[in-house]
Amino acid sequence: MSGRLFHSGKIAIVLVGPPARGKTHISVSLSRYLQWLGVKTRVFHLGDYRRATMGGDMDVPDDYFFINASAASVMLRQKILKKCREDIYGWLNHENGQVAIYDAVNPLSGGRRSLAKEFAKHDVQTLFLESYVTEENILRENARNVKISSPDFIGMDPDEAAKLYLRRIDVKIPLFETMDEPDLNYVKMINAGERIQYNNVSFGYLSHRIVFYLMNLHIKSRQTFFARAGTSSQEDSYKMDAPLSSDGETYAQKMSETLLQHREAERAASISKGGSDAPLKPLTVWTSTRKRTVETAEYLKGKGYKVRQRSQMSQLNPGVCEKLSERSIRRMYPEEVEKHEKDPYHHRYPRAESYHDLAVRLEPIILELEREQNDLLIIAHESVLRVLYGYLMACDAMHIPSLKFPRNEIIEIIPASYQNEAKRVHIQGLAPEMIPGSPEDIRIPVPPSGTLSPMSGLGTPAEPANPIPKTVHPLSKD
Amino acid sequence: MELARPHKTNGLGVQVEDTQICVVMVGLPARGKSLIAQKAQRYLKWLSIDAQVFNVGTYRRTDNPQPTADFFDTSNAEGERMRRAAAEAAVADMLKWFRQGGIIAILDATNSTKERRRWIKQCCDAKGIETLFVESKCDDEDLIMSNILEVKTTSPDYKGLDPEKAAADFRDRIRNYEKVYQTIDEDENDLTYLKIMNVGKQVIINRIQDYLQSRVVYYLMNLHIKPRSIWLSRHGESEFNLHGQIGGDANLSARGELYAEKLPALVRESVGDDRPLTVWTSTLKRTIATARYLPGEYNQLQWKALDELDSGVCDCMTYSEIAEQYPEDFAARDEDKYNYRYRGGESYRDVVIRLEPIIMELERSENILIVTHQAVLRCIYAYFMKKTQEESPWMAVPLHTLIKLTPRAYGTEEKRYDAQIPAVSTWRGKGSVAKHEDPIETTEMLGGGKDGKTDVSKEKKEEGEVAVEGVEGH
Repeated sequence: MSGRLFHSGKIAIVLVGPPARGKTHISVSLSRYLQWLGVKTRVFHLGDYRRATMGGDMDVPDDYFFINASAASVMLRQKILKKCREDIYGWLNHENGQVAIYDAVNPLSGGRRSLAKEFAKHDVQTLFLESYVTEENILRENARNVKISSPDFIGMDPDEAAKLYLRRIDVKIPLFETMDEPDLNYVKMINAGERIQYNNVSFGYLSHRIVFYLMNLHIKSRQTFFARAGTSSQEDSYKMDAPLSSDGETYAQKMSETLLQHREAERAASISKGGSDAPLKPLTVWTSTRKRTVETAEYLKGKGYKVRQRSQMSQLNPGVCEKLSERSIRRMYPEEVEKHEKDPYHHRYPRAESYHDLAVRLEPIILELEREQNDLLIIAHESVLRVLYGYLMACDAMHIPSLKFPRNEIIEIIPASYQNEAKRVHIQGLAPEMIPGSPEDIRIPVPPSGTLSPMSGLGTPAEPANPIPKTVHPLSKD
Repeated sequence: MELARPHKTNGLGVQVEDTQICVVMVGLPARGKSLIAQKAQRYLKWLSIDAQVFNVGTYRRTDNPQPTADFFDTSNAEGERMRRAAAEAAVADMLKWFRQGGIIAILDATNSTKERRRWIKQCCDAKGIETLFVESKCDDEDLIMSNILEVKTTSPDYKGLDPEKAAADFRDRIRNYEKVYQTIDEDENDLTYLKIMNVGKQVIINRIQDYLQSRVVYYLMNLHIKPRSIWLSRHGESEFNLHGQIGGDANLSARGELYAEKLPALVRESVGDDRPLTVWTSTLKRTIATARYLPGEYNQLQWKALDELDSGVCDCMTYSEIAEQYPEDFAARDEDKYNYRYRGGESYRDVVIRLEPIIMELERSENILIVTHQAVLRCIYAYFMKKTQEESPWMAVPLHTLIKLTPRAYGTEEKRYDAQIPAVSTWRGKGSVAKHEDPIETTEMLGGGKDGKTDVSKEKKEEGEVAVEGVEGH
């Protein structure tokens, strides 16, 4: 396999910070990124364990986070921690996990030190990741977005509810020590990335990578659209970089008009619901350097939109499979087909790229996509859209090769704090022969029946492979 | 209808191509600022991002070529005036360079006071240029001394002086700077900055504004100063090499096999027995086969990004076939080899972009041996040896040769080990369709050494002989 990520050993990323600091958002985004890069990652939310131990409705004892807590609270705390850590070890040691993200408050320096020591005993490296917030409005925004949906706050003014919630945290967690331990590996993210500070005792590849990722992670909301390239005039193939056919040009125009109308309609809908009447965000178009994608963007370019070409975004190289039918591939490369069926994401046909290779190649694009603050239309080959969609929607890697992007739909990705949403915008009036998937695709054998696909049918947004609960109880997280 | 807005007016984040950044180095002398500046420039230029270092010391030297430490005493009014004039001249030239379309300027000076930094920021703000301050702060005395001895005593300021005296004078100069030095602190929280303390042990990254800045910061984060070397080798001669075909996924020729067998000894000769080494190959048969006899204790990794330049429709063809079937392409490629993209394939520019993560990994790592292909090797070599886009695609990269690159403070040292196993030459001159030909006299010989013209031409001759022999043997 390419990439060094597989050689970094076992790592625990331990979150640090009181509730409403965006720890869960950071955990989920980071996990999505690492998972997509091919690093087996899982988030362990201590809050889930507490709920499981105590039952969903019970609140934690008042002294749960106190240093001089009662014996009963200490016992409870230890019981919950023990179960969570056992699961982490079990996953790292027996389920081939590589990065465990441990989402908890971890407020005290002493506790963090002993945690790192304990992980080291199990041959696990620890990297602490603190979210430290001094700006009141970031706190209030976080509290308002995710915390006050609980019954406690029903009927309250959102601002008041947020304030109340933050006051409760201060009472519950009277002592919090920000990270300053020279002997520990830590990254401190201050005010949602305005400043990042780190202490590097033994940083590896992944730690630096994570810092780079956090540098580009922002919380501002913007839309990403995906569209296929039009069809080409000559015989479609990977190597013949053919220009658009006249049908392809018609498609380019229809797709572009549909998108522009959709954006205007969404803005109008938002205004009618009392949203802001600010002008639309600028739209930037990214294409690959392949003729078909470049020419598909011509129509928008003619209207003055900025178009940028990215050589990293050219389609998956089919290698020896180019132009072969599935039958021929099965006949000529039976062993490769067998390997491919076992692992369609990582397997690479001779001279071809695997989807994982493509993901590694697209990685700089992902970071730039995270940083981008304009709305973005990406016109690319289906294989590229699969990988980018897989990242944004946190699809299971095994499902990425079979995602479908018919030409008569524009995909809109709407960011949300736990799980982004996907919407499909129908393009009217396309000739039916334009719609199916790219003819030059490798005929990848479909996963055996019964395998869950994130696509629950065409025209419907994908379900997340591992749905993440959207509502979180106040103070439900440690 | 909404239009994409022009230069910097959207207020919601700036397009990368609109960005101009002034990277302002901050730090006492002997903290490795110039080294960082040089490396960053080389990296950016390699990625086709126009970058330029403006070294204030160079401006100061034109008026005062060999000053003593007194010159840098802040109570020396004349010295102070001259140093300020040098800074102003450098900044003026830099702004002029930005007006001509430069993207990233690196202002290499101590910039040791808050007042100076504020002044630079104002100069840049007025022209719509972003500033990124990069402070290298180091309190490790041993490290500072070794830097002084290695770098500073060879500085033009001390040319012809006794090294002992030079080092002593330089320490005095640092003391004078220390009197006024102000580290970047809370007062300057509105600045975008990267502060690296004790060679990357502690780092602060403040107010990164866009992707390009984050890329520069990430690159600087990955630099280290531990001594190390990088070894480069092409795969052994392949069956395709014999036939003059390009691309493909061919096996090694009999002579290529001999090289694979000899490579462990060649590597041991250069690396030594006890240094850990990691071996990177491409995913193609010929590099994997070439590396397969290397000792098992070397960790081996395959990178898709190290695969040969993809020649698209021309894959597996000979140059004469290409000239015959795609005459326009053949001519276009010779016209601008760096930018020419094979139909359905890649250009050198594309290869550089896909190699960028490899370079980042290389900067981070210590001793690495890379077994890869001609075009990829040219690109990696061009990064370390600062070759231009005009020359790098034409460099001769001999088969069956191990090249050792050792990064030093100013430039990269190079040593070459010839396996003494004949092989064909795969070098091709502009316009030529020959199956095998020898590099002409003026060809940049990769691995030919850089320390003297005589040496280079001697190497060329030897290589030429080997190549001739190879063709005859075939």
